[in-house]
Amino acid sequence: MFKDKNPWKYLALGFLLAAVLIGLLLFLGMQAQAATRFLPIEEITTPKGIKVWVAKDNSLPVVSLKFIFVDSGSTNDPQNLQGLARLLSNTLDEGAGDLDSQSFQKALSDHSITLTFNAGRDFFGGDVKTLTRHQDKAFELLALALNSPRFDAEPVARMKDGNLTRIKSSMSEPDWMTARLINDRAFGTHAYGKNSGGTLSSLPRITPEDLRTFKNTYLTKDRLIIAAAGDINPQTFAATIDKVFGDLPAKGPTVEIKDFTVENAGKTFLYNQDIPQTFIEIMMPSFDNKDKDFFALKLLNYIYGGAGFGSRLMDTVREKGGLTYGIYSSLQDYRHGDLLSVSTSTKNESAAEMLSLIQAEMTKLQNTPVGEKELKDAKSYLTGSMPLALTSTDEIADMILSLQFQELPIDYLDHYADYINAVTPADIQRVAKRVLDPASMVTALVGKPAKIENAEIVKELPNVQ
Amino acid sequence: MLIRTVFIFLLAISAPYAAFAQSFGAQEFTLSNGLQVVVIPNHRAPVVTSMLWIKVGRADEAPGVSGMAHYLEHLMFKGTQKMQPGEFSKTIKTLGGDDNAFTGQDYTAYFTSVSVDNLPKIMEMDADRLVNLNPPPEHFASEKQVVLEERRQRTDNDPRALFGEQLQSMVFINHPYGTPVIGWMNEIERYEWKDVKKFYDAWYAPNNAVLVVSGDITAEQLKPLAEKYYGTIPKKELPPRIRPLVPPAPAQSVLSLQSDAIHQSIYQKIYIAPSERMDKKDSLALQVLAEIMDGNATARFYKNVVIGQKKATSVDFNYNSSAYDYGTIGIGGTPAVGVSPEDLGKTLEDEITAIITGGVTDAEVKDAIQRLQDTAVFARDSVAGPAMIFGAALTTGSTVADVENWSTDIAKVTAADVKAAASKYLDNTKPWIRPAVTGHLLPAEIAPPEVSDVQR
Repeated sequence: MFKDKNPWKYLALGFLLAAVLIGLLLFLGMQAQAATRFLPIEEITTPKGIKVWVAKDNSLPVVSLKFIFVDSGSTNDPQNLQGLARLLSNTLDEGAGDLDSQSFQKALSDHSITLTFNAGRDFFGGDVKTLTRHQDKAFELLALALNSPRFDAEPVARMKDGNLTRIKSSMSEPDWMTARLINDRAFGTHAYGKNSGGTLSSLPRITPEDLRTFKNTYLTKDRLIIAAAGDINPQTFAATIDKVFGDLPAKGPTVEIKDFTVENAGKTFLYNQDIPQTFIEIMMPSFDNKDKDFFALKLLNYIYGGAGFGSRLMDTVREKGGLTYGIYSSLQDYRHGDLLSVSTSTKNESAAEMLSLIQAEMTKLQNTPVGEKELKDAKSYLTGSMPLALTSTDEIADMILSLQFQELPIDYLDHYADYINAVTPADIQRVAKRVLDPASMVTALVGKPAKIENAEIVKELPNVQ
Repeated sequence: MLIRTVFIFLLAISAPYAAFAQSFGAQEFTLSNGLQVVVIPNHRAPVVTSMLWIKVGRADEAPGVSGMAHYLEHLMFKGTQKMQPGEFSKTIKTLGGDDNAFTGQDYTAYFTSVSVDNLPKIMEMDADRLVNLNPPPEHFASEKQVVLEERRQRTDNDPRALFGEQLQSMVFINHPYGTPVIGWMNEIERYEWKDVKKFYDAWYAPNNAVLVVSGDITAEQLKPLAEKYYGTIPKKELPPRIRPLVPPAPAQSVLSLQSDAIHQSIYQKIYIAPSERMDKKDSLALQVLAEIMDGNATARFYKNVVIGQKKATSVDFNYNSSAYDYGTIGIGGTPAVGVSPEDLGKTLEDEITAIITGGVTDAEVKDAIQRLQDTAVFARDSVAGPAMIFGAALTTGSTVADVENWSTDIAKVTAADVKAAASKYLDNTKPWIRPAVTGHLLPAEIAPPEVSDVQR
């Protein structure tokens, strides 16, 4: 091959060239990576094998740590103990180890540490926010709460009483009442139909032993997802994570939760309440990011009602019709099923008109492709607004946690704009036909709506007593 | 969810003392037409929050058209000679930004969060609508309907909200703060564009506004933009801001509302108190007092009333210092099962009396100050938050220096100051200006209390 008598020269040159090329590629690659990493997230694996996604930032002396145990939420509440996961979130910070409720709370407030727990349908979560100078104390208290909570009788009773009065107070809130009605009718007998806040009869039944059992069963390492942001101490962080989470049980039982389909499709339910407005909540089946049409769905939702101002629903019923203060659609992504929901309120006389406008906008999106400009504007917002969601340590930790919860790759945000920009008007129309189907809607109304026919009257709010 | 944006900002307003920071590094300049500009640099993300605050609110309206300042705020999104109705918000969305507005008793504020490279466009549009508002008449009626729906949604649907509105009107005898920002239902119906325009022309002017920009920018970078977009707008002669005074009113006021729609009784009591503008020293002492009474789960109210005596499941002691005129102190709670609102009221008052007679300890004051200073550090962990803090302060009579020095000022409060402030403003036997107003909200099945005092 080589015409030269000394091929070694070429080989050497070849090596040199290759080295330069590799170096150049590496350099450009790093440049490219540095330039396009929207949010630099690192994955850390601790000595005990726990994975954490971290975004370090020392511009402020603040640390935020957020975590969730998946499939450990109110879906797992026994039917007669609804509210158990919620009550666990209320009591886990009410005394641990040698510290009783007041001593534990005082240790938090003396160090300006915010430590809270929360329970959703699909998860049990926790949230720590602290100044850098108190981070050791914060993680020490978190470790105590997670590993040796006391569930003393006094704070457990106090938290139960607090929840009972919260429910009674909420019984004056039409949006809360509407949520009770739609959840019961749309989820039906599925575990998602449980009232995660508990009921007036279920809460008094819950014992400290129930709380302990729930914690030991479901707060396990195999379900754990952790995100951290802010002024983290890189020397001690991995060891700290092991100290907090390392001694939790390795594995919990598999929870069999079937995928749900919306029940009572096409039906309208009404709870009569003597107020000047009718609250409207609509749910219909949808899908999540495992589906190839997910980005088309995101854009469709934005155009239909997700945008708030500028959405078709807001333009039609508020800007043109003066029928409401606000109307929004949103995507609800649960682990075992997905929904698109619409919420609004209007004076009782306009309720029927409102319902027909909500459906008319659905039909329009099914029948006519969205305009190029409307789609381009929607894409600009969804891609351009991303940095606004990352302006505080908390928000950054939230973002990292939700990427993990939704099982998305660590560099997802870097490709987000490409996914959004690839969507066409035909994609949107296809998804509109699939999702925005009036026949699949369940509708809940609370108020005294005029001219509503074919609504099934509900005499007692479900899942409250 | 419908009012998420508004809710976040209400939270920020209701606890301004908790959010002030020791040093935001704010920069300030004033244009020759009187526009005050504050810049709070924060280079964490390439975004800014731009807020245009007008020093006019509900309390500056003429009688008979309550809530008109808020209606005007809605119409500010309905176009100018250059912009179509709705075009303002749509343009911002297309730039990847979010915008909204809110109205208070003393101010009206318009805000946009957007990437910093789009800030000039926002400033151009904000400057335009500051003086060139021109909504097409067909929008007057439909937007009035929107406001009526807003009032129904926020207030008329919920007996607790209606009750709160009535309590407030009882506290502020002869003063505009007694009228709700959204306005009374029957007066909303009466808005006419000519009245709105008169109000707008009188008060919307560069010399009655504060531009606050927080985020990835410096004063040096912002100044030429401010000059370009706002600098050419002429200043106006502003109407005097003469506010009525609350007269001494010796009678005790107890309001009670019993309703089928109430399932849980509530106790509330509202004291009139100085705002930071009226009396800075006392205001700082009251901020420390509020932290001692109800700053956390080990504070006096919760520890003694919820845990100790088990009279309530939740309690509240809040001090609103952010007002051009009077502030308020509100106490209240949710009575435990079997406890009447009067009984809870007496327990809470015993706690107040304990402060008036026995004072607070030096340790309580020291801890409270430390926690307040720490919240000031957390307040810097936001782009929109600091813009909110400076805007609310500067439109209610405080200065940039007041905000920047808050952490050092609050540290000067002593236990004696706290005791003196509690005695001056919370003593039922010798009230400041007028006695506190008490409210009992009751479910239908429980008989209301005998009220022998003057009931309004």
